[in-house]
Amino acid sequence: MDMKNSSNEKFSGLSIYVLVIGIVAFAFGCADILVWAGFSPGIEFGIMEIAGDDFFRWAWGGLVVLIGGVIMLSGALKAYEIRQFAKVTLGALMVLMIAATDLFARLCESIPAGEDSPEFFNSLGGFLSGFAPPYSPAIILLPFILVLVYLAVRYDKENQ
Amino acid sequence: MAGNYISEDERWDLVDKISGRIVTYGEYKQSLRDVIGELTVVPLTGIPVAIAVLYAFWSIFGSFAGALMTDGFMVKLFDNYWLPWLQSVWPDPGGWIYFLFVGDPAADNCFEAFGMLTSGLFVSLGVVLWAVLIFYLMMTLLEDSGYLPRLAVLVDTLLHKIGLHGYAIVPAILGLGCNVPAVTATRILETKKQRFMMMTLLAIFIPCGAQLGVMLEVIPDSVGWVMLYLIAGFAIFGIILDKIIPGKNPEILIDVPAYHMPVWNNVGKKLWMRTRGFLKEAVPFVLFGVLVVNLLYLGGVIQALSNFFEPLFVYWFGVPKETAGPLVAAFLRKDLAIAQLSAIPMTTYQMITSVVLISIYFPCVATFVVMLKEGWKQLLAAVGVLFCVVMIYGGLIHAIGILLGVA
Repeated sequence: MDMKNSSNEKFSGLSIYVLVIGIVAFAFGCADILVWAGFSPGIEFGIMEIAGDDFFRWAWGGLVVLIGGVIMLSGALKAYEIRQFAKVTLGALMVLMIAATDLFARLCESIPAGEDSPEFFNSLGGFLSGFAPPYSPAIILLPFILVLVYLAVRYDKENQ
Repeated sequence: MAGNYISEDERWDLVDKISGRIVTYGEYKQSLRDVIGELTVVPLTGIPVAIAVLYAFWSIFGSFAGALMTDGFMVKLFDNYWLPWLQSVWPDPGGWIYFLFVGDPAADNCFEAFGMLTSGLFVSLGVVLWAVLIFYLMMTLLEDSGYLPRLAVLVDTLLHKIGLHGYAIVPAILGLGCNVPAVTATRILETKKQRFMMMTLLAIFIPCGAQLGVMLEVIPDSVGWVMLYLIAGFAIFGIILDKIIPGKNPEILIDVPAYHMPVWNNVGKKLWMRTRGFLKEAVPFVLFGVLVVNLLYLGGVIQALSNFFEPLFVYWFGVPKETAGPLVAAFLRKDLAIAQLSAIPMTTYQMITSVVLISIYFPCVATFVVMLKEGWKQLLAAVGVLFCVVMIYGGLIHAIGILLGVA
């Protein structure tokens, strides 16, 4: 991926992609905070859920997703220029952090058996059910964010 | 000597010849990592990234230490197996030896038993060990990836306002895990003034992982207020100490390396060294602390001190007289003192005040010993500052409560 010699088509394709992901991340971040603030008792839409029951996850985590979206949007214009692409990568990494910590929390909760169970470890079925939907907005954004992270890693490798 | 002399021009010619042979000049090409590195030290983008990194830090900390290790395995191990076994094999549940080592004969969990082998072992090995382990792992990853120096540069301006420089963020964050290594980490600060200030502020205003863990269990809805009071106190008394303590606050001058993947062998070594330090220095003091507190209870010393300090606690700090016992015992076990507070009926504001008082009150005995290693003069001065801070800030919090109509 050569940033300097990128064609205009590539340039506009990446910009539009970043623009869409940035707007969605911004909207999801706002929704996280608003639900936490009590504007809604909680949002459940398809496989997505915003519970809003916890300051740490929904207010602080939502703020990170929101700002991640804003930073991505700030890099969307001329996204193939290295400085702009760095902003996109930074914003993507912020959303990635929230998604990864959400998944890590599920992993940690799924390994042990329940409090009332005499066993120490969960059954395989119980472990896998811990990863079933609904998911937080950051996890839903994760596959799209990973595309941007992949582009950043590829660019970094090519320029080492 | 005169024969070896070369003029300044000749010297520069020599430099040119050497550099011409060994230095290759090329065009500098800025990499993506370079630009990301720059963006993380600029406040506009750096502060949001710091907010995200700290979120990830605490989220991983809570998930691993809380949900997985302590709640998932350790509580079950200690409450379902260790405590019943101790209670069944230990002779004479009514005796004082039972009280010292196992604690309350009617207890059904290690957290509330208050014995050396029950609460002492549970808190140190069931709660704090895992918190410290994941905390050190995260710290090491931040250090070795190159993020920590950038965070130091980012917060330098802010910390300079209280006479510290950016690298003070390292002992500050370490202190949130355990104050013992954090006191040692103050050595990275340059001047005596900065080291003393950081050590004192650390001992007073930074709650350790054990305390935070118990606070999250006992007062989950009020932890934010407690932290707010502690951060405000850190800033206020930092500014005051900066004004009254003589000495220099040099500018930060640190090497900021490029971002890179940590070398896992180095991460493993650092993690082992730090965890071993905790196991060697802090765990014996935690166990010893529980033993001493239990002895003081048995001897009626805690009760006598509670009665003596009762007017101070009730009229100056605005907390119920029953809190005197846990507050006095907090010197040895701050986390258990917070747990003891949960059994005392009081208003939410009184609870917040009591927890803040326990946090800013004398450092735990393990921290005390490490501070002593740094020098007895500094320790005495820190204790003097600490006494003044507790009296002033404790009264101030009570006054704020009165003004708000909640105290």
